[in-house]
Amino acid sequence: MLNRSITRRTAARAFAGLAVVATLGRGSARAADNAVTVGVNLSLTGADAESAKRIEYGAMMAFDEVNAKGGVNGYRIQMTPYDDGTATAGQYDPAQAATNARKMVSDKSTMAAIGPQMSGAGKAMSPILSQGDLAIITPSSTNPDITDPKYAAQYRPAGKAIYFRTVATDAFQGPYMANYYADVLHVKTVYVLDDSGAYGVGLADAFQAQSEKKGIKVLGRDRLDPKAADYTAVLTKIKSLDPEAIYYGGVLQAGVKLAKQAYDIVPKMIKGGGDGAYGPEMLSAVGYPANEGWYATIASPHVTDEAKMSGWVKSFKDKFHVDPDDYSVTAYDAATVIIAALKQVTEGGKEPTRAAVRDAIQSIKVTTLQGPVSFDANGDLEDKTISVFQIKQDKNIPADDMRQYKYIGAAPSA
Amino acid sequence: MALSDLLLQQTINGLSLGAMYALLALGFTLVYGILELINFSHFNVFMVGSFIGLWTLQLMGINGQAVVMTGLPLIGVMMTALVVTMVLSGGLGVLIERLSLRPLRDVKGPAPMITTIGVSYVLFNIVLLTVGADSKNYPNPLPPVQFAIGDAVLRLREILIWVIAVLLMLGLHLFVQRSRMGKAMRATAQDPEAARMMGVEVDRVIVIAFFLGSALAGAGGLIFGLYYNFTSFIIGFNAGLRAFTAAVLGGIGNVPGAMLGGVIIGLIEAMGAQFIASAWTDVIIFSILVLVLVFRPAGLLGRVAPNKS
Repeated sequence: MLNRSITRRTAARAFAGLAVVATLGRGSARAADNAVTVGVNLSLTGADAESAKRIEYGAMMAFDEVNAKGGVNGYRIQMTPYDDGTATAGQYDPAQAATNARKMVSDKSTMAAIGPQMSGAGKAMSPILSQGDLAIITPSSTNPDITDPKYAAQYRPAGKAIYFRTVATDAFQGPYMANYYADVLHVKTVYVLDDSGAYGVGLADAFQAQSEKKGIKVLGRDRLDPKAADYTAVLTKIKSLDPEAIYYGGVLQAGVKLAKQAYDIVPKMIKGGGDGAYGPEMLSAVGYPANEGWYATIASPHVTDEAKMSGWVKSFKDKFHVDPDDYSVTAYDAATVIIAALKQVTEGGKEPTRAAVRDAIQSIKVTTLQGPVSFDANGDLEDKTISVFQIKQDKNIPADDMRQYKYIGAAPSA
Repeated sequence: MALSDLLLQQTINGLSLGAMYALLALGFTLVYGILELINFSHFNVFMVGSFIGLWTLQLMGINGQAVVMTGLPLIGVMMTALVVTMVLSGGLGVLIERLSLRPLRDVKGPAPMITTIGVSYVLFNIVLLTVGADSKNYPNPLPPVQFAIGDAVLRLREILIWVIAVLLMLGLHLFVQRSRMGKAMRATAQDPEAARMMGVEVDRVIVIAFFLGSALAGAGGLIFGLYYNFTSFIIGFNAGLRAFTAAVLGGIGNVPGAMLGGVIIGLIEAMGAQFIASAWTDVIIFSILVLVLVFRPAGLLGRVAPNKS
């Protein structure tokens, strides 16, 4: 018994030694080739992993391109991925996101960050990044509270805006879709659902408030537990109330099951959601015909189908073997902003600092794939386009190709 | 929708849920009745079972929602999928018992229970790492036959679930009550020491209990996939926790109690979503559990536990 415990302890010591050596090795390699680190925090584990990959690739593409050209004023950009998804949560986990934010802040070579994918993660990360004076640009998290000056004390306690976005927020995504329901689809009654996450609840609230303003009658509001499997009971209740439409604020862990079961119980009802309902799993896991007719929005202009983008789309596909979606584009754009900011602050051989990079991002005006990008004092994107899509099965392309989401147009802003 | 139709529809929903919970609850009850062990790995045997069913159906060429079958081929495919899933899931249960619980047989205290939690997480993460985190589209070869009763709808797959669940539970009940092995199981549950002295091979009884419980969990997993048309690595915990609640509610260790508990939990879930709000489902279910345990600690039908003297 005694013998065994000594062996164990020795093994543990040897292992700790190895870890120290490994860390030292990494540190010196970094110093040698003049690199700056950009942390990328996404939900790589769980229900939104597919979308996360496409976002990660978007950022990776921009950094690879600039590194291939010799970096930014001699600085190579090293991308460090962080995963805020955990197996236990089955999707993003705010506690893990907070841990990742602390890791980013304590890594001295990290000058800026991209992410998070999810607003629930953003709420956990923002205060920590604010204390660490580390700017982050999110390509997809749309909950408005994080950048709302009303909650500045909570989400940016150090004062300055550090949470920037290359997408619009749910303060526009929800209401514009309510406008679309009222003005284009002429919906008179609606039932609103959310998935109990920060993003989903906020989006559903914003949609509901604008619907009521627009004269749509909200027949009810309920909350889905994303880990539960059964929504037939709540859908049966919806069927009995017989609204013309359902609006779902939430991401795909609950969304996949909702779409499948809604097809069985209320097949003819108009169904739609936000950018949480826009994702590959809606095509692969829900599948035709259950997903047919679902509306989804994204909080950015739709550009991947534009003719001028065909070269970019092709090189993305060649490199990563998947189609980019619009959040691959906003991620690429976020990386473009960071590259431009680093360029500004390292001009003339200056050492980059986090504060300088943040200030540069704040005042930047740069042309990106989605168009000119600049931020207001809170970090929100000046341009606020919400694009509406609808799934319409096209037999000529694979069933899980993102082009099954047919672009309908920009949602009405009033 | 008239209130009576609505009640009928929610009853149909609740019974389908209840059938699944009951199948799963039986596994907890069988093992608890014999070993006085709460087997948390059962949660994820259920989940793995749903994947085994998925792969079996896919191997038979049934992918997604495209293939619809009728008549004898449908029965053949369903039987094959059910048998393969149950045998392999049962095997997994036996493997878990052999590798992680038998070495701890004589250890007192919570060690075996903690081990089952560990095994549960191992299964969960193996599936996560090998098949991925995304939800899988579950094949559904059932024809979209449905019957309208007023405004309520009864679908073929609900009938199928009830038939499979009732047959399996009836089979288990007869096995436990009538067969020699069932008698040995009841004897072991009453007093393992005395049973051993009377010539019962206790180890074999335990293996059979694990096999049967896990096979039923596998059947539950297949049914889950067919009913909801999806599966994912995460389905075990929610269903498992409710099934465990069902087992305790009915009286843990008690086979008919597990069935009753499952149906009650399923009905509460459906009616709660209708008349209160689905967000409150867990509060309602677990409050009822607490109330039942406070006033009837042995559960509704009484608890069966080994007589540790």
